[in-house]
Amino acid sequence: MARGPLVLPLFLVLAALAIAVMIGIALSTRASTLELSAVQGRAYALRRWWLSALVVVFAALFAITIPSFPYLKAAELTTAKHVPVTAVQFAFPIPAVLPVNTPIVFDVTSKDVNHGFGIYDPENRLLAQVQAMPDYVNHLAVNFTEPGKYTVRCMEFCGVGHAYMQATFEVR
Amino acid sequence: MAQTIVHDTHATHGLAHHEIETLRPDDLRSARRLMWIWVDTGLAIFALMAILGVTMRAEQAGWISFGPDVFYSILTLHGVGMISAMALATMGGIWYMMRLEGPLDERVAYWAYGFIMAGVAAVILSVFPGKFGAAWTFLYPLPFIGATWAPWATGAFLIGMMLVSVGWSIWCVQLLGCIMQRHGSLRDAMGWDYIFHNRAFTEAGKQPPSAQSFAAMVASIDGLLTGAAGMVIGVALLAHLFNPSMQIDPLWAKNVTYFFGHAIANLTIYMACAWVYVGVPRYAGRSYHTSVPLAVAWWGTLIFVLLAYFHHLYMDFAQAQALQYMGEAFSYMSALPTVVVTIFSCLMLVYRSKMRWTLGSIFIYTGLIGWVVGGIGALLDASIPFNNNLHNTLWVPAHFHTYLLGGVLLFVLGFVFMMLEERTGKSSAPALRWLVGTLVFGGMAAFLLGFYVAGAAGVPRRYAIEPAPGPHVASWATVGAIVMLIGMAVALVEGIRMATRKPQGRLS
Repeated sequence: MARGPLVLPLFLVLAALAIAVMIGIALSTRASTLELSAVQGRAYALRRWWLSALVVVFAALFAITIPSFPYLKAAELTTAKHVPVTAVQFAFPIPAVLPVNTPIVFDVTSKDVNHGFGIYDPENRLLAQVQAMPDYVNHLAVNFTEPGKYTVRCMEFCGVGHAYMQATFEVR
Repeated sequence: MAQTIVHDTHATHGLAHHEIETLRPDDLRSARRLMWIWVDTGLAIFALMAILGVTMRAEQAGWISFGPDVFYSILTLHGVGMISAMALATMGGIWYMMRLEGPLDERVAYWAYGFIMAGVAAVILSVFPGKFGAAWTFLYPLPFIGATWAPWATGAFLIGMMLVSVGWSIWCVQLLGCIMQRHGSLRDAMGWDYIFHNRAFTEAGKQPPSAQSFAAMVASIDGLLTGAAGMVIGVALLAHLFNPSMQIDPLWAKNVTYFFGHAIANLTIYMACAWVYVGVPRYAGRSYHTSVPLAVAWWGTLIFVLLAYFHHLYMDFAQAQALQYMGEAFSYMSALPTVVVTIFSCLMLVYRSKMRWTLGSIFIYTGLIGWVVGGIGALLDASIPFNNNLHNTLWVPAHFHTYLLGGVLLFVLGFVFMMLEERTGKSSAPALRWLVGTLVFGGMAAFLLGFYVAGAAGVPRRYAIEPAPGPHVASWATVGAIVMLIGMAVALVEGIRMATRKPQGRLS
């Protein structure tokens, strides 16, 4: 799933909240001054709450995100169609056509240097990616649910042709 | 019109007056000169690298065209140069603060500076005229396969990186030695008894290390491990250069490289913390002392900085899965000491205080905002489901530019202006503060948003020529960067004006 479009508004909302709080605290210096001792008691109580809230949020985030980790997905797909990809400076040899609504596992490696195997959907959204590394094979599970023209771009700097390293395939 | 500063009475550089006065005037002057050499060198390198950065964004916008080989050489120099610049400036600052706390041999610091500058020179030589362009990451085996540069350029780059690591390690050893000497042992420097036997510690009339001392300790311990990693990968790659039959495991090389790079980049902001601990209380007119939460927070940072780097390898599915889990967990945990202790404490100090808003304090305070905002971007990227779509997109330079440019650099500028304001006894005119603030922060926001917007749209990083919407976004990001640099140029002129005025302040 392409989460790129979701992350920007989430970031902007969180950043705006943080900036608003910090500007608000900066503006508080225009109000009447308080002794530090008068601020500290409430601040330390607030800090305990803040720490607890963050620990809970981070623990929950960690637990919630685990099912979305991509590492075990390929191993779970025992009947998937395997597509070997051996990246090379500066090309991705890949079949011209792949099936729609079929579990596919890309077995990705590299013949020379580190590359990144990034799949963009027909709307040019980054759908999935994995590194292509010499001496190692990384297994990326994908199920294309929409037919159309997909583009593969290199996602790891690999030399002077890095920006030109791409391939396309049709899903139907 | 310039405003006269009313000095608060309780602190100078986080130290009581009598502590500074234990330094002879000649020693103080000499230490300050050394500090300015480090800071000014860092800022000069930053200025040059910033121009290179704008040039790259202009190339991506399609305004100019100098070809991918030149682009990647510039990219390489920009990356190494910027981290070196921020490290040099913050190393100089923290060295000076520790010098105020205890003896430090200036000759050792000059040796460290010399090694780093020799390393920077070797890196520059490798890029111009060597055309080395494997990026700062120089991920094995990239420097050796399909290279458009001569092998000597690879050698010069690796030797340069190792010289920087040597200089960095010398600095770490000296600082750690100073801290341990001052507190008697590593145990006391880390505040062990202060944390676990607080009552006995306090009743014995002992003082815990200062807040800036904790920053120095973490920087030097983690820095030694980081420097060692830099030298290990440097030696391994040099050995391969001279004997290509000697193979290196690419996954091992990637781990060591990112351990080195991630830690050294992050340590710059933790070193800059030392200035924040001094600057914020001073401007707010409130005192800030070491507390148990602060000591515990720095212990956490000591660990988290080293172990969060695994998030750089999320897309290497061959990496042991436990390390991927650790990457996400430690990335989240690394936020806790920062937002629960350091930044929270700074906000507490500012809230309803008699804060003096000068260029120095505005830069420091805005640096805190940049740190938080960059941290939010980093945490989203460190969440593996999001990282699937953000890894190696422009979201990565988005968040690290936010906390390096909008955090570390602003802390450096804040510290510089704090020193200048103390020296002259005056702060800049309100109109000038508004001008600098509008140009720097407005331009910076446009520049950084360009990275975030393009990153969320999936535009890959390190592309000389970007797919849509990269070029369009790069256009207004370039305009933002130019506006920001104009604002910084105005600040530079103001800084030079203040530095050349007759000293009247306390640090005259």
